[in-house]
Amino acid sequence: MTSRARWAGVLRTPVGAAAAVLLGAVLLLAVLAPLLWGGRADEVDTAHILAPASAEHWAGTDNLGRDIFFRVLVATRTSVRLALLATAVGVAVGLLLGTLPLLLGPRLGRLVTAAVNIAVAFPGLLLALSFAVIFGAGASGAVPAIGLAIAPAFARLTQTLAASVAGRDFVAAARIAGVGRVRVLLRHVLPNIAEPLLVNATMAAGGSLLAFAGLSFLGLGVQAPDYDWGRLLGEGLNGIYLNPAAALVPGVAVVLAGLAFNLVGEAAAKAVGPRTATAGGRKRATDDARPTPTPTPTPTTAVPVRPQQSAQADALLIVEDLKVSFGPVTPVRGVGFTLGRGEAVGIVGESGSGKSLTALAVAQLIERPGRIEARRLELLGDDLLRTPPRARPRLLGTSLAMVFQDPMTSFNPVQRVGRQLAEVAEQHLGHRRGPALARAVDRLRAVRIPGAARRARQFPHEFSGGMRQRAMIGMGLMGEPKLIIADEPTTALDVTVQRQVLALLADVRAADDVAVLLISHDLGVVEQVCDRVLVMYAGRIVEDLPVARLRDGARHPYTRALLGAVPDLATDRDQPLVVIPGRPADPAAPTPGCAFAPRCPLADDHCKRADPALIEDGSGGRVACWHAEQRPEPAPAAATEGEGR
Amino acid sequence: MAPPFSPAVVRADRVDRVALCGRTKTGRAAGGQDLITEPDDVTEAMPVTSTTASAPGFAHLLGNPWLRFAARRLGRLLVSVWVLVTGAFLMIHLIPGDPVRAALGNTAPVELVEARREALGLNDPLWQQYADYLRHLVGGDFGTSMLSGLPVSEVIGDRLPATAELAVLAFALAVLASIPLGLAMAVLTRGGRRKPVELAFTSGSVLLAVVPEFLVAVGLVYVFSVELGWAPVAMRQGPSSYVLPVLALAVGPASILARIVRVETLAVLQAEYIRTARAKRLPDRRVYLRHALPNALTATITVGGLLLGGMVAGTVLAENVFAWPGLGSTIVGSILAKDYPVVQGVVLVYGLGVLLVNLVVDVALALLDPRSTIRES
Amino acid sequence: MSELTFEDVTVRYGSGRREMTAVDRVHLTVPSGAVVGLVGESGSGKSTLARAAVGLTPVAGGRILLDGRPLPRGGRRPLQMVFQDPYSSLDPRMTIGSSIAEAIPRGAVPGAAARRDEVARLLDLVDLPADRAGCHPAELSGGQRQRVALARALAGRPDVVIADEITSALDVSIQGTVLNLVRDLHRELRLSMLFITHDLAVVRYVSDYIAVMYLGRIVEYGPAESVLADPRHPYTGELLAAARRGGPQAADTVPASVADAEPADPHHPPTGCRFHPRCPVGPLVHPDRTVCRDTAPTGDGRPHRAACHFVSSAADPAAA
Ligand SMILES: Nc1ncnc2c1ncn2[C@@H]1O[C@H](COP(=O)(O)OP(=O)(O)O)[C@@H](O)[C@H]1O
Ligand code: SF4
Ligand code: SF4
Ligand SMILES: [Mg+2]
Repeated sequence: MTSRARWAGVLRTPVGAAAAVLLGAVLLLAVLAPLLWGGRADEVDTAHILAPASAEHWAGTDNLGRDIFFRVLVATRTSVRLALLATAVGVAVGLLLGTLPLLLGPRLGRLVTAAVNIAVAFPGLLLALSFAVIFGAGASGAVPAIGLAIAPAFARLTQTLAASVAGRDFVAAARIAGVGRVRVLLRHVLPNIAEPLLVNATMAAGGSLLAFAGLSFLGLGVQAPDYDWGRLLGEGLNGIYLNPAAALVPGVAVVLAGLAFNLVGEAAAKAVGPRTATAGGRKRATDDARPTPTPTPTPTTAVPVRPQQSAQADALLIVEDLKVSFGPVTPVRGVGFTLGRGEAVGIVGESGSGKSLTALAVAQLIERPGRIEARRLELLGDDLLRTPPRARPRLLGTSLAMVFQDPMTSFNPVQRVGRQLAEVAEQHLGHRRGPALARAVDRLRAVRIPGAARRARQFPHEFSGGMRQRAMIGMGLMGEPKLIIADEPTTALDVTVQRQVLALLADVRAADDVAVLLISHDLGVVEQVCDRVLVMYAGRIVEDLPVARLRDGARHPYTRALLGAVPDLATDRDQPLVVIPGRPADPAAPTPGCAFAPRCPLADDHCKRADPALIEDGSGGRVACWHAEQRPEPAPAAATEGEGR
Repeated sequence: MAPPFSPAVVRADRVDRVALCGRTKTGRAAGGQDLITEPDDVTEAMPVTSTTASAPGFAHLLGNPWLRFAARRLGRLLVSVWVLVTGAFLMIHLIPGDPVRAALGNTAPVELVEARREALGLNDPLWQQYADYLRHLVGGDFGTSMLSGLPVSEVIGDRLPATAELAVLAFALAVLASIPLGLAMAVLTRGGRRKPVELAFTSGSVLLAVVPEFLVAVGLVYVFSVELGWAPVAMRQGPSSYVLPVLALAVGPASILARIVRVETLAVLQAEYIRTARAKRLPDRRVYLRHALPNALTATITVGGLLLGGMVAGTVLAENVFAWPGLGSTIVGSILAKDYPVVQGVVLVYGLGVLLVNLVVDVALALLDPRSTIRES
Repeated sequence: MSELTFEDVTVRYGSGRREMTAVDRVHLTVPSGAVVGLVGESGSGKSTLARAAVGLTPVAGGRILLDGRPLPRGGRRPLQMVFQDPYSSLDPRMTIGSSIAEAIPRGAVPGAAARRDEVARLLDLVDLPADRAGCHPAELSGGQRQRVALARALAGRPDVVIADEITSALDVSIQGTVLNLVRDLHRELRLSMLFITHDLAVVRYVSDYIAVMYLGRIVEYGPAESVLADPRHPYTGELLAAARRGGPQAADTVPASVADAEPADPHHPPTGCRFHPRCPVGPLVHPDRTVCRDTAPTGDGRPHRAACHFVSSAADPAAA
């Protein structure tokens, strides 16, 4: 979205439109009111001194009999003008102080930053009062006073925004290219922080309007015979028992004008802010959404997904026709597999193919607005679609363990590791605090954490990444897990640490006959731990085969391309790597035929029309491809074509 | 006067925090540096730690993150106090023209002005005035009022309790009201639930946050004193007279804080460790109170901490509406009367109050969030 | 085409208590026209070395030389760098055309039309259609952005290109495209390259030489085939074992104390050989090898060298 479109979008929201209209009205009034009603506002009427509100004088009159309502209207200009002036002073000084660190370089810059940080700690009003002492009471003193009072906060905002932009790689690249500091500031930094600064300047204008009213109200701002809203308010307050309108009308004016600036700012902030969020992928799913059992096989699925009949008897987990949808988008579109006791199955696929959602759905961790549908979803013989929710916590809490991708963020940062483990025993095993903690220490030791008792008393940030991931596995072992679901458990870890964690998973599995569902984008990782691989593409399983057959028995073109696209220690260095052209499938724009068809070297018209079903191939595998029997040319000629064109 | 100045402050902090998180994430956690080995784990712990470089004695003391935190925080406090004191000193010297002449008026005889200047030490060289000023401050001497001739410390002693009461009560009310409200709103409206509730809360809190306390005060006076006649309009007489000023002072910050609590709680509810907590199948109450709330609070304090300092200064306006006999009415009167020593003293007291609140906020943050103590600020 | 040499380079971050040495007395040569792959775990100092080379991080000691001469401070930058994150390495507010044009040295291509042609030529070099010059980065995929970043680096007419983990932020299906491009560019332009990654398989695919970094030090350096076929430093051996795919890992061949050892804290690096708390052939396993705890090993001057007191190679009779 271009920036103009975003700003236009602000006006389309009800709040944004209302705020813009309000702001327009205030500015219009500021221009016109003195021209239209300047005379009436200054008209002295000694016959009606301090009159209460009436049909003639809507807000009553002041001590010279002047009409307060018109005075409020006319005061718009002074109030708004002074507020804008003060904002301009504040923004200018703030911008200067805020960008200075970038121009001065690190050493001097740090000094400026420190000074601003100290100034920010003092509230604006206190600064404004102090500056008012220096500049003297009166409008000409209050403008710089309020301006300088706004400046530190604005400077700090500019600094933090500028620093975050300056820390990004494109600024580094510009500097490597020989672009000077001033040019970097003007060409790269300022354009990238202009929007939030503008938003904040708008809000600051609202703030200084209110602040000005405050100073004038105290008698430190605009002096007689001039008047602004604050002074009118102060005068009105003296007679609030006789004529409340004299205080309320200017008060309402101040609030409305302040609100206009602030709301425009808020609405713009909403439009400007979430830019990164829209770029940054899907929302995470966490909460507990009630799955709805599909009563009959849904007619919308043209393709019947055939479950494996063989292993049903001692199946630990049975998934049939699982779908996960978020509104109109269905990132998981009919996944089916079974998992036997003690079996280790891997799911591979590129990001966005639905691996994690499948895992979260099995674990019943999909949050609203996400919806789970399935023909069958059974864990340990318990129907997860129909068990009353109350009966589930114990089953899931003790028999199912989860390990997530990022060990940095999957522990609660403010709770000791031991407690986070012990919680499980307290909740599901009825342990008291002491025994629960003892079990936690025991489990930490079981996952080979050195100094387990001491470690249990530490916070997660005191653990290294690999150790945290081991502790996470230990957390899963607090109950008696029958299934461990590990979602990219080693992606964030170094290769050598990765090996430790995978070895630990294998050990746990061997020791207690625990089944493992391992999700990874890395075929090598899956090969190390698993017996079977499920390859997912665009929300479907496209191939299911024993790990032993992966390297030379893969039949789906996508599986084969994945194997060839990533170099391993045996890759021929003189051959180009296999290229999968095009982009990964977009779950929001499903195609009628095979989802891989736009990128598949074997695709034909049939592929583009009809989606192949996942069918058993008679040798213990399943594949969803019309041309599974066919092999593509050994080295794709389209090597340089890539995803570029 | 938190609201008029606050939006920029709030936002600045928000960005700051994001930057902080980024930094903590890149830094690698250190582990296994202790020399104490666990009795039950001797075999496992020993070899790894025994040979890493370690410094004994004093350096070890500095190795305690809490001591380092205290030292760093104290250092910052001292610098801030120095800046404050110097600022207050310079304030008077930056006034264009002769402050004594300005205070006494154009009609005052030259001899009187000169005598006053001499008494105030204004004829000494600047550095000596500064040194005298610092020395007097250390001795508790804030100078003498130019108008009343009373020691400024006495004026402050008279007025401070009324202001402090107001500030503390408003502070407590704002914090106690905003946290449960914000948390409840976050839980109720998480994941796009209950859109109408969300709209009502956000628009209501924006409105309340924008209205500065003196306008809230005027509104409250109008409704409760003028229309309903429930509360005394002004002055500090009996408990009922506290209700309106405290409310006026607390409403704005409370609504801003409640918004921050809600936003931060919503953000925390998206965090991976909340998913971990749910994967443990903990009851909702435990997830929200044990896992979400402490994290949301630390975030809230980081973002909204300055707001509480702002409330100290906010008393000025509220006091003027309610004719509250505190420092707020004193400082305004003194500025208008150009009684500079009093202004100087009161500014100093307010500044110290703000620094104190900020210190409390930082300590609370350190207690709540174990990572913050090792974070450089 | 030039030779880049790091001579005894040290880089420090922070000061006082928080000071840490991210790169510690590193010697490294990128021979003219060769690709040197630099591997190591995250935090070992690879990026720091790269940033020091291009002048983004000040050097605390040692020299960085290009063909034996110190790097010029102003003017044309003979070193260019491509960054890891394609989402942060292009200015979102600039068209990719102007991003690339900005990096073209002033005076090298005079005239607006000539610069446009140059941008088109560079885009073509990285297999992007020239009409993409008017696009903003948001309209491109990660792989395409990474190619734009490569084009921008080439715009500076560099003698040496440093590529810092340029494929690790990309989806598996796209990494291959970028690696192929790197190889083709290297062959076409005979650039010298420092190719940084944590993945030994990737390094093997693109590099002529391999340098292995651990906690701020280069622990092994040599021709790629030699290092891979005959790793001499135990850490390289570990990396190789981890990169070897297929079949379960033989993690149980090393004692548990070594297998579960924690990564060292870079703020408090171990004494002597920095790898000793994790080393499978070090003092943990052979208690008599105390020299590892006390003395830091240095590599000798041979083409394939390892910084280890007990270099493990059958081909090396000097090692016990
Ligand atoms: N700007 C910085 N300030 C302080 N420490 C840093 C900074 N950048 C990196 N480091 C630290 O320096 C060490 C080396 O980092 P880096 O060069 O990024 O390693 P690599 O690229 O091998 O992952 C790490 O411990 C890292 O935390
Ligand atoms: S069905 Fe057709 S398009 Fe899909 S993977 Fe098979 S051959 Fe390719
Ligand atoms: S010097 Fe010793 S500890 Fe270091 S790698 Fe060699 S054998 Fe291992
Ligand atoms: Mg790096």
